[in-house]
Amino acid sequence: MNIHTVRGIMDEMLQALLLFWLPVAVVPFGVWIFLSSSNDQRKTFGRFLAFVGIVMVCTSPWTVPSSPSTAAGHLLGAIIGPAVLILLGIYLISFSGHVPVGRLPRSDRKLGIFVSLVGFAWFAGMHWWILTPQIASGKVNDYWFVFWPTFLLLTSCLSSCAAIASLTIGDNRKTESNYMFMLSGLGFLMILLGLNVDGPLITTDDFREHLWLSVADLAGIAAGGLLSVMVFALVIFVYEKTLPSPVKIEAPQTAELEQVANVIASHIGGGVE
Amino acid sequence: MSGSRLAVTWRMMALAFVLPLLLILAIEITLSSGIEGFDGDEAFTRFANATLTSYTLLSLLLLGNLFFYGESRNRPLAPLVGMFCASLLGVAATFFFINQGPMLLEDNGSAQAQAIYNIVHTLVSAGAVAFAVCVSLGSMFSAITSQKRRINFTFEEE
Repeated sequence: MNIHTVRGIMDEMLQALLLFWLPVAVVPFGVWIFLSSSNDQRKTFGRFLAFVGIVMVCTSPWTVPSSPSTAAGHLLGAIIGPAVLILLGIYLISFSGHVPVGRLPRSDRKLGIFVSLVGFAWFAGMHWWILTPQIASGKVNDYWFVFWPTFLLLTSCLSSCAAIASLTIGDNRKTESNYMFMLSGLGFLMILLGLNVDGPLITTDDFREHLWLSVADLAGIAAGGLLSVMVFALVIFVYEKTLPSPVKIEAPQTAELEQVANVIASHIGGGVE
Repeated sequence: MSGSRLAVTWRMMALAFVLPLLLILAIEITLSSGIEGFDGDEAFTRFANATLTSYTLLSLLLLGNLFFYGESRNRPLAPLVGMFCASLLGVAATFFFINQGPMLLEDNGSAQAQAIYNIVHTLVSAGAVAFAVCVSLGSMFSAITSQKRRINFTFEEE
């Protein structure tokens, strides 16, 4: 049975459910199995499930073209390349430095910097060059306008916060702080460029409009998330308060205290090998 | 670190967090004598939808978390029911407010379409947030490990 026959049988909502929403749900489920299992076979199964889910989400614009939600799958397919390059680069730079475990060769640092820069250049090419994610010829994927300003703005804000944190909380971390200010400046510069330089498909007005919407989005996510965590804490607090207090036990006897003191002394003395 | 110094540090960090946004606003206001491209109604709609959707999605996630929290306590029903009601409240509030009219409906024709759009939109935004956090924290970590090794302890000679 080919895919066209299947499409004929299933109605559009069922198609979206089976070929988009189910794979979306399968990804975190697979990650959860992978992280929570101690068994190797289960770990592999979890990894496989998450991989299949990601592939199905990425191919959803072709398997379920009738659903507008699948544009998110299209975006995932478009950004997965540069995102992996940036994260891989950061990993290579981090673990080729002074780390006590899992240290990589020093030469990987240059490779990491190169790979990260390629990732950033790829993202920049999506705005100002021909790499823009297009859902149809000449039509930019709407979710790109959600992702890109949110990512740039938050990276700039978080890096600036991390730079100040390393200066105020850290001990003599001026160099690290300068690096973080540079990253914050890079994000800031890209936002300014987006506000002033048109791309082939994205105008400055489009970017400006979506930048303010991304601020509203971030504020909304923060407010909703905070509210939800507060409700969660309240539910736990109310439940714990209704529990009876634990049974009181008698204070330890002198002999018991002496025994404990002996055990502790034998461990912290350091004189006996 | 003393209490007052800690408070100053937190305030500085909060200010540093919003500094790029404030700078962009300042530049925009200076160059265009106003915030160009900002539509208050549209921004409010986006804010309200994001608040309702993130509340509902995170409540559902925390409900799952609560299920495992109860594992060590003979799985009590009371907190599960409480959190389930809180999640249902989020779903009900979302549909109630979307059904009130065009206030929370963006370019979608029905409440169901708007709710689905909200979920996908929030997932994309959450993805951008997660990626930005990974890049910032990862860069901080790589900046720290790239520096010369520090000796934090001086050992007494035996």
